[in-house]
Amino acid sequence: MSDPLMTAPLVLCIALPLLGALLVTALPRWSVSLGIVSALATAGAAVALTAAVWQQGTLHLILGGWDATLAIALHADGLAAALILMVNLVGLGISVYATDYFHDRLRVGAFWPLWLLLWAALNGLFLAGDLFNLYVMLELLGIAAAALGALTGNRDAVAANLRYLLVGLLGSISYLLGVALLYTAHGTLDLGLVAQRIAAAPELFAVDAAAMTLMVAGLALKAALFPLHFWLPPAHANAPAPVSAALSALVVKAAFYLILRLWLDLFWPITGMAAAMLLASLGAVAIVWGSWRALRAERLKLLAAYSTVAQIGYLFLFLPLLTATPPGPARDDLLAALLLMALTHGFAKAGFFLAAGLVQTHAGHDRIDDLGGTAQRLPATTFAIAMAGSALIGLPPSGSFIGKWLLMQSAIATGQWWWVVVVTTGSLLASAYVFRVLSRAFGLEPTPVRFVTDARAEVPALTLALVSVAVLGLASGPLWRLLELGSAGGGA
Amino acid sequence: MSADPGAARRRDLSLLLAVLLALLGVALTIIYFMALQAGAAPRLADLAYARLPGTGVQNPVTAVLLNYRAYDTLMELAVLLAALLGIWSLGPAAPGFQRSGAVLAGMVSWIVPLLIVTGGYLLWVGGYAPGGAFQAGALLGAAGVIVRLAGDPRAGLPAEAAQRWLLVLGVLVFTLVGLGLMVFGAGFLTYPPKLAKWLILAIEMAATVAIAVALAAAYVGGRPPGPEARPTAADEDAEPQPPASSPRPPVPGR
Repeated sequence: MSDPLMTAPLVLCIALPLLGALLVTALPRWSVSLGIVSALATAGAAVALTAAVWQQGTLHLILGGWDATLAIALHADGLAAALILMVNLVGLGISVYATDYFHDRLRVGAFWPLWLLLWAALNGLFLAGDLFNLYVMLELLGIAAAALGALTGNRDAVAANLRYLLVGLLGSISYLLGVALLYTAHGTLDLGLVAQRIAAAPELFAVDAAAMTLMVAGLALKAALFPLHFWLPPAHANAPAPVSAALSALVVKAAFYLILRLWLDLFWPITGMAAAMLLASLGAVAIVWGSWRALRAERLKLLAAYSTVAQIGYLFLFLPLLTATPPGPARDDLLAALLLMALTHGFAKAGFFLAAGLVQTHAGHDRIDDLGGTAQRLPATTFAIAMAGSALIGLPPSGSFIGKWLLMQSAIATGQWWWVVVVTTGSLLASAYVFRVLSRAFGLEPTPVRFVTDARAEVPALTLALVSVAVLGLASGPLWRLLELGSAGGGA
Repeated sequence: MSADPGAARRRDLSLLLAVLLALLGVALTIIYFMALQAGAAPRLADLAYARLPGTGVQNPVTAVLLNYRAYDTLMELAVLLAALLGIWSLGPAAPGFQRSGAVLAGMVSWIVPLLIVTGGYLLWVGGYAPGGAFQAGALLGAAGVIVRLAGDPRAGLPAEAAQRWLLVLGVLVFTLVGLGLMVFGAGFLTYPPKLAKWLILAIEMAATVAIAVALAAAYVGGRPPGPEARPTAADEDAEPQPPASSPRPPVPGR
């Protein structure tokens, strides 16, 4: 993989949004046009990266040309490539939507640099192959995310996001403590090398287990795993709509990705069923509790935020199943199902938040009980909410339908039937909260005159929701190939 | 002596928390010493020393920060930028400083040039001894803080448009050097040994300016005030210094 042309997308996925952020900072007058150009260029680099992984398999680049122990590596396997593609397509949708959402000059000038820095951090996080570099990316991600969340400037938003910032810092510090332990014991920060040394030194089990606990706990705080989710609903519900979409669909997902990466690639030799069961049980409680709170929520954006708590829970259910399944086609299916759930939620939740933001701007509020007639005023937006909602429930043909199907299949195959109960309950509650919104939105008023009311704001939401329902469900085959190429997971 | 049962319960709870945290600290210390027993860390330090001749600098810390792990430093500078943009997004800076008295003004006119000279020295010395962009930037940032305390609402920084360019300078030069090296076939942030010294110096100079501006602007605490915010002699005549015994005048926005 030393061909510089093949590894160029690895660098560009991070350097392009970073350069874009610098330009929009320096030239605030041009921030919208420069921001959109940067978003397009970044998404282009992400597509090129996925294509390169598709053709070549895993990409690996050691920066600076030094020994692997001294330098920082960038690494893209199938898992990372699929998530990068999702993040960047959703990012592009959010960018297009944001051109129409912010009107105040100061707010436009504040949004674009922070958003592009957040984007660079996301891409950097998915591509990092180094434990300390991951910490730096987590810091950039956390600071940019909290600043963006407070952009509405009202008291609730600032308070919620100050708490988000502090919680995020606590999570990062816990992660960093774990990294310090691993570095002390194993003498390197490179993910691949540390993984080898963990496997080769079973006598350091106590150190590795302590490091794992610290790192996973820190990241679970950032991924809002029950009961560490308390900061998420106010922070996500009070942010401006494009920011809520980015926080809920992408930022939380990045923390989960990191847990998965550490679990599968780094700590695989020392993870046991007990730890996996603990995390999955918390995930199960998150599904039921999050869905219940979403059902009881009075505001549309709060509903979406609680739904994120529940949807993150599903991803944790996969850990004990992955532990129980021996390497082979069944395990590949399980990984693909996990990825499919994460991707579908990314598209669906982003679409849902963008649409909810539009409802809020048009109606002046997002109280669910007063949404009557929304379908008549904003038919395309309501359709987007309906589609995204069906993906959140897991109705066919959405990607999460296949994901949940494979999840339940594997739960029965490995004898952990109780997860089936959890998934079914969660899906039922999800149908309840989605249909609660839709039954309000579709009043008995006359048929709408026009389907699309505001193209620049509605088309991104609609497209993202459509991808989550149709594209990921009907054309999920390539994911299996990407995963095979990347051979993610220590057991595979 | 608290009669309120809620307060007593809270005290018990915080005591319990303190005990638990102390136990956690003890456990982590034990585990840390177990990790030290593995004796892995010095090997990497040896390697960092062994590769030093090709890095363009003689100080191993600078070599780690700007060569071996330059990508981390680049992103750390981006973190600093994000933090300042976050501060700016919350609103304009709070006014409320008065022009300094004669003694403070006299001290400032001595200390600030000294800080600037020392900052420049630390930047240069970073190539072969402890020092470098972060230390130099911190000193220059401190100079900005002193200027702000002495009554300049912009902490001695230029107007907002110029401040924005200075602020991004560090990451910009860093990224452009990295991408430039990639275009010429060396790879992102892979310095050719002959050029390494000068490329690192260029990056460090830009980074020093950016760090100093970010720290001083962060101390200002909001979007930079315009030129009209600068206190003039007329303001001072209109608003005499309050006597020392009177309470401090309320500062708007705090």
